[in-house]
Amino acid sequence: MNLGVIIAILRKDLVAFSRDRFYVFITVFGLIAFVVMYWFLPSSVDETVRIGIFQTGLDDMFEPIAAADSEGIAVTVFASPEALIAAVEDGSDGIVAGIAFPPDLADRGGGTTTVDLFMPAGTPEEYLPLMEGMASQVALLAKGSLPMPDVRMRTVVLGTDRVGNQVSLQEQMRPLLAFFVLLMETFALASLVSVEVQLRTVTAVLATPARARDFIAAKGVLGTLLAFAEVLLLMTLIRGFVGDIPVLILALILGAVLVTGVGLFAGAFGRDFLGVMFLSLALMIPLMIPAFGALFPGTAAAWIRVLPTYGLVEAIVGVTTRSESWGDLAPALLALTAWCVALLALGTVVLRRRVETL
Amino acid sequence: MARDLRLGPRSPVFLTAIFLPVLMSVLISAVFGGLLDAKPRLGIADLGASDVTAAAQDIDGIAVSVVDGPDELRSQVEAHNVDAGIILAAGFDDSLRAGEHPDLDFYVSGGSLASNRAVLAVTTADILRDVAGREPPVAIAVTAIGDESYVPIEDRLLPIVVYYAVVVAALFLPAASILDEREKHTLDAVLVTPTTMKEVLVGKGALGVAMGVVLGVASLLLNQAMGERPLEVVLFLFVGSIMMAELGLILGSLVKDANSLYTAIKGAGVFIALPVIFIIWPTLPQWIAKLAPTYYFLQPVYDIAISGMTIGDFWLELAVACLICAALMPVTSRVGRRAEIRLAWAG
Repeated sequence: MNLGVIIAILRKDLVAFSRDRFYVFITVFGLIAFVVMYWFLPSSVDETVRIGIFQTGLDDMFEPIAAADSEGIAVTVFASPEALIAAVEDGSDGIVAGIAFPPDLADRGGGTTTVDLFMPAGTPEEYLPLMEGMASQVALLAKGSLPMPDVRMRTVVLGTDRVGNQVSLQEQMRPLLAFFVLLMETFALASLVSVEVQLRTVTAVLATPARARDFIAAKGVLGTLLAFAEVLLLMTLIRGFVGDIPVLILALILGAVLVTGVGLFAGAFGRDFLGVMFLSLALMIPLMIPAFGALFPGTAAAWIRVLPTYGLVEAIVGVTTRSESWGDLAPALLALTAWCVALLALGTVVLRRRVETL
Repeated sequence: MARDLRLGPRSPVFLTAIFLPVLMSVLISAVFGGLLDAKPRLGIADLGASDVTAAAQDIDGIAVSVVDGPDELRSQVEAHNVDAGIILAAGFDDSLRAGEHPDLDFYVSGGSLASNRAVLAVTTADILRDVAGREPPVAIAVTAIGDESYVPIEDRLLPIVVYYAVVVAALFLPAASILDEREKHTLDAVLVTPTTMKEVLVGKGALGVAMGVVLGVASLLLNQAMGERPLEVVLFLFVGSIMMAELGLILGSLVKDANSLYTAIKGAGVFIALPVIFIIWPTLPQWIAKLAPTYYFLQPVYDIAISGMTIGDFWLELAVACLICAALMPVTSRVGRRAEIRLAWAG
């Protein structure tokens, strides 16, 4: 490979890129949109269910519940059912539902009385069993019974306890935003390659001392540089560089190489601008799945873990939210490296064949 | 039109028009449905066919998964595949009903929300009380209060799917098709036959309208949101598709190349998609949405399909939509004529 030739092609491509209205537009617009979207997302997680209560003569019952504020339930006592209903309707102080106990519940004799649950439209349905359970148990206590059977219940927390320190939607979105930026650069590279192939400017380039491998190497370097520079800028603007930064930077470089491989492949096959755009999108859709999967709790399904971008997402999530480092993320980074090599090789071979047949 | 329909499936735009609504539907139901409506998840390792398991599975507000054994349960809880888990030993129910003191380990995932832990703990306690045969001394009456017209977020996201179906099929498809024919000079060949530019525009527009309606209906059916007045929904989809097809034909005739077309659509996208934003966030001042032409078919489609309103509530919107379509018609014709003259000069 001829380094001078590669640099010359790179320089030409950078000029072509900077003159292209479309890519300048989607690059700048995309970056601004992603950064604005990130800062509009909630930066914390509200883990508390706030419930309004109306009761008379049950103050003793609510002391333990009020004390359990840190355990996910907060209770606000209202002076009248009307005040409770108004608070539930307005959602004031974040109250999501209300329970109105009948007056003097404790003093009532036999027979069943009624507890009113006030649920606004759109209340998450899991709050209904919570409210019913609370109402039943308070009623049992009020009547002098134990609220539940005498079970020796032991609570064990497994894994790192994140109560009060949950991963916010902002943090969950980081891999997805990084991926979208990489995706934009796949379009750009694929289109750049496709234009050179369609307009046969590549044959003009190859009439100079440049060889096909120089041309492909220049495109690979350009794609990787552009993708990496943009994702680096995005991660800086969304304060994504937390934890083990070298691991994160390596993962982003590998991500940039990975999408460059896809871009070379799509560019070699694309017949025109729209064809390239839709082919790139079709190739990138399965690659987006791990980033979407990171929004959900729990372990990703086995088929998601074998997708090329899983290692990238795992590394970003591991470093930024689980404070993981080289040791924890080595398998993910190795898998990502293997996919980078495979996709880059595939893109190179396909493009080389296409260039040589022109 | 027949030629475009025959050759269409080879075009990436055509394929995208078909698959994008499906993809959007899947994304909305999977990502937003699952993410915004995530129920607390309880894992149960049931070693003795306990009634607690069946009772938990009957509760709508929590998601219950039964796992193979205690080790599997602990590993599921630790991996946060469930928010909490319980192990029900053999004979647990008998012991409970006999008033003994059975052991119950309540495993909580470190990653679970405090609110989910509270919901699962209270619900589990209530199930145990129920299985033990201890009736609560109160009846519980649930009263729904507040805005009865509340629409869940998954339904409010529906206009995105309809928007993509109609805009990609009715606007992007004719625009890309005209532009493609201009760039490849096949339009020149067509115009040397007795076919006029007006007929080309009508043919391409008609295909866009047909695709817009079909894919709009398909995306609504896919989301089980056709509502009780499908014909009224189809009428607004039809008018909306005509409007979008006219805009597509104007764009396809005007723009220089595919890059410009895509930039124009992306740039104007925010304006075209304005009503979608205002449907998702109904507390925003709704008059702003009326500035976008797409409002006059997206809002009626949404309200008729989801909120049970009728065409009678949308006469004005229908009239405005028809007026926009009528106003765009001479513009389309004029722009098409100019494109024809440009082609003739270029030839």
